[in-house]
Amino acid sequence: MNFKKQFKEGLLTKNPVTVQLLGMCSTLAITTSLFNGIGMGLAVTIITICSNVLISALRKVIPNQIRIAAYITIIAGFVTVVDLFLQAYIPALAESLGVFIPLIVVNCMVLGRAEAFASKNGVLASAVDGLCQGIGYTVALVIVCVIRELLGSGTFGGGLLGPGGAGIQIIPQPFPAMQIVMPVGGFLVLGFVLAGSQWLMKHLEMKSKKKEAAK
Amino acid sequence: MKTENNVMYVLRLALTLLAITAVVAAALAGVNSITKPVIDQLTAEKTQQAIQAVLPGGGEEVDFAASSAIVSKVYKGESGYAVEVTPGGFDNTITMMVGVDYDGKVLGISIISHTETAGLGAVAAAATPAGEAFRGQFVGQSGSVSVTKDGGAMDAITGATITSRAICDGVNAALACAATLG
Repeated sequence: MNFKKQFKEGLLTKNPVTVQLLGMCSTLAITTSLFNGIGMGLAVTIITICSNVLISALRKVIPNQIRIAAYITIIAGFVTVVDLFLQAYIPALAESLGVFIPLIVVNCMVLGRAEAFASKNGVLASAVDGLCQGIGYTVALVIVCVIRELLGSGTFGGGLLGPGGAGIQIIPQPFPAMQIVMPVGGFLVLGFVLAGSQWLMKHLEMKSKKKEAAK
Repeated sequence: MKTENNVMYVLRLALTLLAITAVVAAALAGVNSITKPVIDQLTAEKTQQAIQAVLPGGGEEVDFAASSAIVSKVYKGESGYAVEVTPGGFDNTITMMVGVDYDGKVLGISIISHTETAGLGAVAAAATPAGEAFRGQFVGQSGSVSVTKDGGAMDAITGATITSRAICDGVNAALACAATLG
């Protein structure tokens, strides 16, 4: 088990959003304020860790033919638990994310990790994998959120900071482009974020190659 | 032994899935029994707050003759009625409380729950100056209201006016319902 490698994979080289292109539905739909991004990221991270741990623990019990049905049942169970707890204890977040909390069941990232990692690795490694992938997902979501919120509503920290949780106004009205908050803006911003992460990976690769060449 | 046509093996598949499903269902029942009272209490508190916000002194639930399908509950207080209405918003219904006094004038509106677009329609329900201003313009209105785009006096919250029209529909239904109650 290599925590550093798993962390780097989750954050950049195998980032669930920018490289694996999983969980696109939530990435496009709810990334309109910082509060949403962090809340969604944390919810998915917790669910991925829990489902990874349980699926990894049961990986020798679950027959191969029915594994997907078993995984989805387990994931749906955790999602419902998180949904109920959010409604009961963090109602503001439950209201803000609405139907996208129950929809985490069909977030391919969670099932993807179950199938690609937890079903083949030990419990501890699977927990770490869930954490790293979850952090990668959260970071990608927060980046998209911050850009869309700043350009679309002109604010930072929507749902968390500012008067009534409207965020701190950085770009004064009427300059923010409302379209960025709409679906079209989601696709545009996501495209640029994908391009940015590709550039960053190329950049880092070149750097390490140069280092080796210098040796 | 482990051939896929083996009856025992097929049975094992079914029983494994059954066991997993049963455990998950039992766990969910447990969690639900913890969270349900909390959620119910929150919903009741929210409704009470909404009534207080539009009808000073609050009110008691009363029977009403539904003049419109979107009227769900009516509360009668000292100064008028609080009418809970659920007009259709951009992608789901908006649940809101409208206070109407005995002269048929709007006392105030308060939005309980909605799923309008963040940054656009959601501004109508936000506790921000823009949201307060939007909801404030309904106070004192009577008869029927509509947005400026439809020839009315209400400034819409966005250009597409979907949320604003929904809220006008809700206010109109509440006014009509209160008028039948007198």
